[in-house]
Amino acid sequence: MDFELTDDQATIRDAVRDLAGKFDDQYWMEHDRDKEFPTEFYDALASGGWLGITTPEEYGGHGFGITEASILIEEVAKSGGGMNAASSIHLSIFGMHPVIKHGSEELKQRTLPRIVDGSLHVCFGVTEPGAGLDTTRITTFAKREGDHYRINGRKVWISKAMESEKVLLLTRTQKVDEVAKKTDGMTLFLTDLDRSKIDIRPIPKMGRNAVTSNELFIDDLIVPVEDRVGEEGQGFKYILDGLNPERMLVAAEALGIGRVALDRAVTYGNQREVFGRQIGMNQGIQFPLADSLAHLDAAELILRKATWLYDQGKPCGREANTAKYLCAEAGFQAADRALQTHGGMGYSEEYNVARYFREARLMRIAPLSQEMVLNYLGSHVLGLPRSY
Amino acid sequence: MRWELSAEQADFRSVLADWLTEVCAPETLRSWLDAGDHGAFEERFAADGWFGVGSPEDLGGEGGGLVELALAAEELGRRGAPSSAWLGSMLALPALARDAEAAKTLLADGMTTVLAVPSGAAPNGRHALAGDGGLRGAISTVLAATRARRFVVPVEDGTLQLVEAGQDAVRVHGRELTDRTRTVGDVEFDGVHGTTIPGDAAEVLEQAALRAAVLVSADALGVMERMLDETVEYAGQRRQFGVPIGSFQAVKHAAAEMLVKVESARSIVYLAAASVEAGLDDAPLHAAAAKAQVCGAAAVAADTALTLHGAIGYTWEHDLQIFYKRAKLDAQLFGSVAEWNERLAARLELLPGMSQG
Ligand SMILES: Cc1cc2nc3c(=O)[nH]c(=O)nc-3n(C[C@H](O)[C@H](O)[C@H](O)COP(=O)(O)OP(=O)(O)OC[C@H]3O[C@@H](n4cnc5c(N)ncnc54)[C@H](O)[C@@H]3O)c2cc1C
Repeated sequence: MDFELTDDQATIRDAVRDLAGKFDDQYWMEHDRDKEFPTEFYDALASGGWLGITTPEEYGGHGFGITEASILIEEVAKSGGGMNAASSIHLSIFGMHPVIKHGSEELKQRTLPRIVDGSLHVCFGVTEPGAGLDTTRITTFAKREGDHYRINGRKVWISKAMESEKVLLLTRTQKVDEVAKKTDGMTLFLTDLDRSKIDIRPIPKMGRNAVTSNELFIDDLIVPVEDRVGEEGQGFKYILDGLNPERMLVAAEALGIGRVALDRAVTYGNQREVFGRQIGMNQGIQFPLADSLAHLDAAELILRKATWLYDQGKPCGREANTAKYLCAEAGFQAADRALQTHGGMGYSEEYNVARYFREARLMRIAPLSQEMVLNYLGSHVLGLPRSY
Repeated sequence: MRWELSAEQADFRSVLADWLTEVCAPETLRSWLDAGDHGAFEERFAADGWFGVGSPEDLGGEGGGLVELALAAEELGRRGAPSSAWLGSMLALPALARDAEAAKTLLADGMTTVLAVPSGAAPNGRHALAGDGGLRGAISTVLAATRARRFVVPVEDGTLQLVEAGQDAVRVHGRELTDRTRTVGDVEFDGVHGTTIPGDAAEVLEQAALRAAVLVSADALGVMERMLDETVEYAGQRRQFGVPIGSFQAVKHAAAEMLVKVESARSIVYLAAASVEAGLDDAPLHAAAAKAQVCGAAAVAADTALTLHGAIGYTWEHDLQIFYKRAKLDAQLFGSVAEWNERLAARLELLPGMSQG
């Protein structure tokens, strides 16, 4: 067993830490407050070549694995940029995985180099009003008409749609009652967010406000066959392939927020004096922070194991899910405790921990809820009967 | 809303507390537990007239109701008293209320009469015995079975029968419990004939279930109060790093958490007692909330108390073990936390058409 990062990994960590560190609290506070996309940050990562960290070299990327990607995204979150920073680049880092694995050569040539240089912003359109965790319930329908498809439907929560040129869009090409298995009959596209056919409306939300999440009203969107990813009817499978790495990235983001929140809490605990001594001297303050450190460290270990397994081509469902679960829990706890440690100041935006708190809370809901992780562990790992 | 104990209730509590201090002192209790002898306490308890408190006078009781019984259960729990025979009998009372003579034998003469249902679940009719040609079948883990002189037995035809213990066709096998302050046993009936108690058994059993919820949670409250007192006292005495361990915040806060649980437990236990006594519509909710919340909290408090006592709490010599085990049994006695939470959930409109289950 070897717990050391490789030279490459250590270099990535240090370089991203440096680069992300250039964007200070003020920057993130303002972008969150003003609901403004962090373009300068995104551009800085793009010009540093970081967006292509997992893209294969033949398309201009670095071809690194999920371990390196998770180290990158963790550092980004941990820099204080939190989920605003992470979400601005999240999909570029690994979201194109279904395209890389199943897309046509032409589609890849057309899109991947532009992901790497940052000129192509994409979003991911899965969730619908009637289909949250139960993805098979989506109804957005793509009807084949000669060399194109006509798409109608509605999506919800689609992050970064406002800022994106293209969407990875999951649709049905057969209705759920026309297929043998409800996971059949779904088709994935990577296509333009044609504003004349798609009405995009941001959803006012609790946090991570520098990146929008939107409702999409899709009305007779015409999509050429060339924009289809892989085969018709196989979309769900393609997405499934990317779920474990997705969970690991989200885990890394939650971990990063937990780390920065804890750092801030420790700083404040050392500085702030009440009753003539530093508040960090109280066990009521110190122990919860120490406990969070222990939980973050433990969560980090399972995350590293999960990414290692994935990069080795080994099964990693159990570890990926557990990493998402434990990192989200530990990250939120740390943010909550950081807020409490700051007392009234924690509630002001000035100390940033309120922002981390709002963002860390998200990680227990999306992209998949803690309950769904337990469903997975309960039935797939423990072998208990499926409960739903 | 204002609710407090009446002067008589408060008096009753303090007189019983004094009596227990004298009769059920820790060394005496230990000697009974070591000898496996609950009889000495039970006989004294009945002889001094405590069986009648909390039951109507026309049944031979001394008046009062479930609030008085809850106060008694709380005090008995606080002392770790061997109170199974009393508790089992108090659960049989809704049945005996339909047979004045039997009730009087219990309440005035202290003849232990217990409800023959498994003590691991809320009393219900699921273990009713076949009744044709005499009662036949076995019921496991009946509370105070070895102490009972009579059993109230649910029968498959929806009735209840009063059966005398101590006949050949009624065989009782005692079982060992980790909590030595209570007893259970398996009872086998082999073609025995009892007398039928008039009335609807299901209704009686449901009343018994609500009483069980109230009285076991009151017991757990008493146990929890005792563990808190012991813990606070110990934390003030035990010194480490040159100071009493109670001066460490983490210790202080853990004890304060116990106090919060004790206070909220007190509110719900008395409310539930008064509510079940008055037969309010929400009585089943109050009883279920008490059983689930208080017994759950007491089981957690037991672990906190043990943690705060350090290794000494882990020893046989220290009395904490007695209360620790009692709290853990209360969490299972007449239904687990989950079972009573299920009852609560069934009464909430979580899914359309699934309420009032
Ligand atoms: C800020 C934000 C950004 C998002 N970005 C995107 C995006 O870019 N693209 C996209 O496609 N989606 C996105 N989502 C959607 C996200 O993936 C969903 O919110 C998530 O999958 C949960 O679905 P839901 O909200 O419909 O919850 P539901 O599926 O309605 O679930 C509601 C509750 O019920 C519980 N529950 C449901 N089923 C079960 C079960 N079987 N067992 C136990 N509990 C259960 C859940 O755990 C949850 O607590 C985003 C959401 C948010 C909040």
